[in-house]
Amino acid sequence: MSFLSRFYSSSLGRKFFVAGAGLSLCGFLVLHLSGNLLIFKGPGVFNHFAKTLDSNPFILPLELVLAGFFLLHIVIGLIVRYHNYQARPIGYAKYSVKGGRTWGSRTMTLTALIVLAFLIIHLKDFRFGDRSQGVYDLVVSCLKNPYYAIFYIIAMISLSLHLSHGFQSAFQTFGLNHPKYTPAVKKLGYLFAAVIGLGFASIPLWIMLGKIK
Amino acid sequence: MKFFLEVWRQKNAQSQGGLVRYEVVGISPEMSILETLDVLNEQLLEKGEEPIAFDSDCREGICGMCSLVINGYPHGPEKASTSCELRMRHFQDGQTIIIEPFRAKAFPIVRDLVVDRSAFDRVMAAGGFVSVNTGNAPDANCVLVPKDVADKAMDAAACIGCGACVAACPNAAAMLFVAAKISHLALMPQGAPERDARVLNMRAQMDKEGFGHCANEYACEAACPKEIKVSNIARLNREFLRAVVCSDK
Repeated sequence: MSFLSRFYSSSLGRKFFVAGAGLSLCGFLVLHLSGNLLIFKGPGVFNHFAKTLDSNPFILPLELVLAGFFLLHIVIGLIVRYHNYQARPIGYAKYSVKGGRTWGSRTMTLTALIVLAFLIIHLKDFRFGDRSQGVYDLVVSCLKNPYYAIFYIIAMISLSLHLSHGFQSAFQTFGLNHPKYTPAVKKLGYLFAAVIGLGFASIPLWIMLGKIK
Repeated sequence: MKFFLEVWRQKNAQSQGGLVRYEVVGISPEMSILETLDVLNEQLLEKGEEPIAFDSDCREGICGMCSLVINGYPHGPEKASTSCELRMRHFQDGQTIIIEPFRAKAFPIVRDLVVDRSAFDRVMAAGGFVSVNTGNAPDANCVLVPKDVADKAMDAAACIGCGACVAACPNAAAMLFVAAKISHLALMPQGAPERDARVLNMRAQMDKEGFGHCANEYACEAACPKEIKVSNIARLNREFLRAVVCSDK
């Protein structure tokens, strides 16, 4: 364990943890989205899918592992952020350098906090909410509230921005940068961010438009 | 030409600093920003005021001594150049130019625009070298280095250790500097014996000095007067991971 703690206590090691947990969470997002999109198949299919998931005895341990990844990503990410603030106690009167700075990279902490707030509300309402009437009704009744739906969409835009930098950034942190494939990794990152953002946001959008009742 | 310079003035490390506005006249377009500060200092001395302290040495872009953040850009807005190479023809007559010191906890201000960059020296002393027995020069070509590898190592070795990467980084990280030094030596056969210890020790010293974490925003690459590439940072990450996973250290 001394090896792990030494690894963690280094700036590069901490970044490996954040990047590793982040990429793993990308995998989770794909799974989650594939389940969510079943809502377009109607209440029967969607509720059946949710019930099947709930009845799987392996779900709870997997959820705990997932929670672990979330905690690693969030807690170490915030620690890194804190160290970075400390590294420049007095800022510039004028700061102009751009380089590879994008809207995504510039807003990483802000988008992280929005997604975190969303995550907490989302868990409270859906994971631990009243699912006796079926998950379909729960989702539709929540997202019928336009404020809720707009918050949901804002959170998904934030997630998309976060991914647009985070996905490609993780590769660089793992030392994977080469003219052979880095341009493709960047494009894949933008595509992934767009698909995940649009995919999740499509549900509140469709409910707001009254296409899902 | 005439310019308005807003320059960071600070008596010493402990005192509070602030931007002070000066008017400087009689500047020719081929003068550098450092020479403009020289002219301003002469004007200040004539008035009996304290001249502005700033670092410079070779004034031909190879020593890495000049610093300055000019209008928000370390070494100014021109690509691949140092402050001493920044000519006044790149500015408009009558323009206001803001000049600040490099900002990082690891680079404390000594006075005005002078910062203490000895943190870099300590990082280098932690492993940025190869240990060799001195004596006769070895035979040429007895250690073979492929041309493309030598080129990559040379590109990394172009780093002059000025610290612009730290100044430009939103997190004041020193990753590009350390990556350049690690890459330069890790690519060469002469660097191989101390490869693992080097990356582990230089990384440890870098953290100890209080530099931030890399957020892969590549502001360093854009500011670097020697155009060191961020692919070197990926190599540093690989070297570190390799040393952690594969070495006995």
